Amino acid sequence: MLLKLVLNSSAHCAQPIRNSYRVCSHMQGSTRRMGVMTDVHRRFLQLLMTHGVLEEWDVKRLQRHCYKVHDRNATVDKLEDFINNINSVLESLYIEIKRGVTEDDGRPIYALVNLATTSISKMATDFAENELDLFRKALELIIDSETGFASSTNILNLVDQLKGKKMRKKEAEQVLQKFVQSKWLIEKEGEFTLHGRAILEMEQYIRETYPDAVKICNICHSLLIQGQSCETCGIRMHLPCVAKYFQSNAEPRCPHCNDYWPHEIPEVFDPEKQREAGISKSNKKSLRSRQH
Amino acid sequence: MPRGQKSKLRAREKRHQARCENQDLGATQAPVAEGESSSSANLLFGDRPQNLPAAETLSIPEALQGAPSTTNTIAPVSCTSSNEGASNQDEKSLGSSREAEGWQEDPLSKKVVSLVHFLLQKYEKKEPITKGDMIKFVIRKDKGHFNEILKRASEHIELAFGVDLKEVDPIRHYYAFFSKLDLTYDETTSDEEKIPKTGLLMIALGVIFMNGNRAPEEAVWEIMNVMGVYADRKHFLYGDPRKVMTKDLVQLKYLEYQQVPDSDPPRYEFLWGPRAHAETSKMKVLEFVAKMHDTVPSAFPSCYEEALRDEEQRAQARVAARAHTAAMANARSRTTSSSFSHAK
Repeated sequence: MLLKLVLNSSAHCAQPIRNSYRVCSHMQGSTRRMGVMTDVHRRFLQLLMTHGVLEEWDVKRLQRHCYKVHDRNATVDKLEDFINNINSVLESLYIEIKRGVTEDDGRPIYALVNLATTSISKMATDFAENELDLFRKALELIIDSETGFASSTNILNLVDQLKGKKMRKKEAEQVLQKFVQSKWLIEKEGEFTLHGRAILEMEQYIRETYPDAVKICNICHSLLIQGQSCETCGIRMHLPCVAKYFQSNAEPRCPHCNDYWPHEIPEVFDPEKQREAGISKSNKKSLRSRQH
Repeated sequence: MPRGQKSKLRAREKRHQARCENQDLGATQAPVAEGESSSSANLLFGDRPQNLPAAETLSIPEALQGAPSTTNTIAPVSCTSSNEGASNQDEKSLGSSREAEGWQEDPLSKKVVSLVHFLLQKYEKKEPITKGDMIKFVIRKDKGHFNEILKRASEHIELAFGVDLKEVDPIRHYYAFFSKLDLTYDETTSDEEKIPKTGLLMIALGVIFMNGNRAPEEAVWEIMNVMGVYADRKHFLYGDPRKVMTKDLVQLKYLEYQQVPDSDPPRYEFLWGPRAHAETSKMKVLEFVAKMHDTVPSAFPSCYEEALRDEEQRAQARVAARAHTAAMANARSRTTSSSFSHAK
């Protein structure tokens, strides 16, 4: 078994070779290439962990930085390969760097997630029993909702049903803010939905726990919390998936029932545009000429 | 509206099936139920992971469970279908019969993985690590093997992440992480050009603190200007200072930038952010300011007093946290009693 191979200290497979850590990943018969871990990767992991969740642009910068520090002359691996390499090493520890896409505007994000759990162990040591139960209630409301959002009112109305110490509504409001600050929930105009990070971490758990209530995107087949739906046949798609699928299509039609797609088609996420917007917003005068 | 019983039942059944196919040692490690206020943490996301060797099942959720609630939550599933709402005790005995192939040879492996996850979480959150916590949340009844499990977990973390776990307090068994890669503060702000935001930040924190813990934007920029840093002028080191101050450092939670209440036209002020409170202290910032003025902290009497009080509060908080941990541990009477000879 994989775990045994790696964790058994006498196993040939998990030997530090000078300062690189080589692991054979024999996972259920599939052959994977050997992962080699160097200080470039370690630094990358440390920094990624420190941030919890990062956007792709930052991840790329981070990667380049790590190369600069440890291995100036090496060519920087393609990010996907770089991460796959790391993941093949982390596999035996049931951790991986997972890539996701924010549901509202399609920004790619990365986080280090535990694979061996479908419970929310990362939350469990941070929050009290009643707080976790509040999260669970909010989660259920979000999953069951049509829009992917649960209103503050509806969540707070469930405060009496919480396990553990009694919680007042005022308290619950603050706990919800705690969830927002820790990036488990996002708040928009008094309504709450799951943060991209939470979706990354908990997708597996959510799909297993709520197999009937859960919504799936027709295009990418991942968990769907927010999205658009066909009014005829009911299939759903993430906004970024809609954007990609209907890109430059003058007459968008439902991929399932071919009926006219009635919603506004969002734009495909463009990392370059995003950055420019960010800079020009904050600084009117300088940084006018950006070299590309 | 919340899930109904039926769909939960169906979910349970499905998981139960999956579980029976994969031998799942989670069951064997089921703890004896003890009165424990945070039990529902387990029940919240209640059941153990089914499809993977349930390393994580043994860790946090399990650790936090107490009296198993078998009502409408997802109760741990055992492999004999009749026990859908089985208590942990049942599961324990049933589980052990499943401990057939593979894991037998290295039953500690799962604990090692769980401990790795636990430690990484602590690393990410920069939280202190105690032996007591490790035992309580992860090791559990394997505490006799604590040293071995810890050693193996540390090795993996060291090799994969380049961080060392060292015992910093051998009496109270406190551990801390040390990066072998020599990360600097500037790196942790994820700026690969190594823009030393440290300087800017410390100056800002100093101004804010000495101004009574909140400083109008103008006051902060005034000081910055003296150092040749202007809000709207590109700086060779800091790049876009306005952005760094009002966005980057705010986003990283080092600063808070908010409108002065009832200001019209709106004016803005800076305060310390939660991360600044966590990562540094009034005393440290005062020391920085004093150094910049080529003097000592006590040269600023009222600030110095405030900083001293802050230090005391922090020390007390640490003591209280330890005592609390100790009390919890004692109440459960599962930890090695020696670790918690009380902090003074």
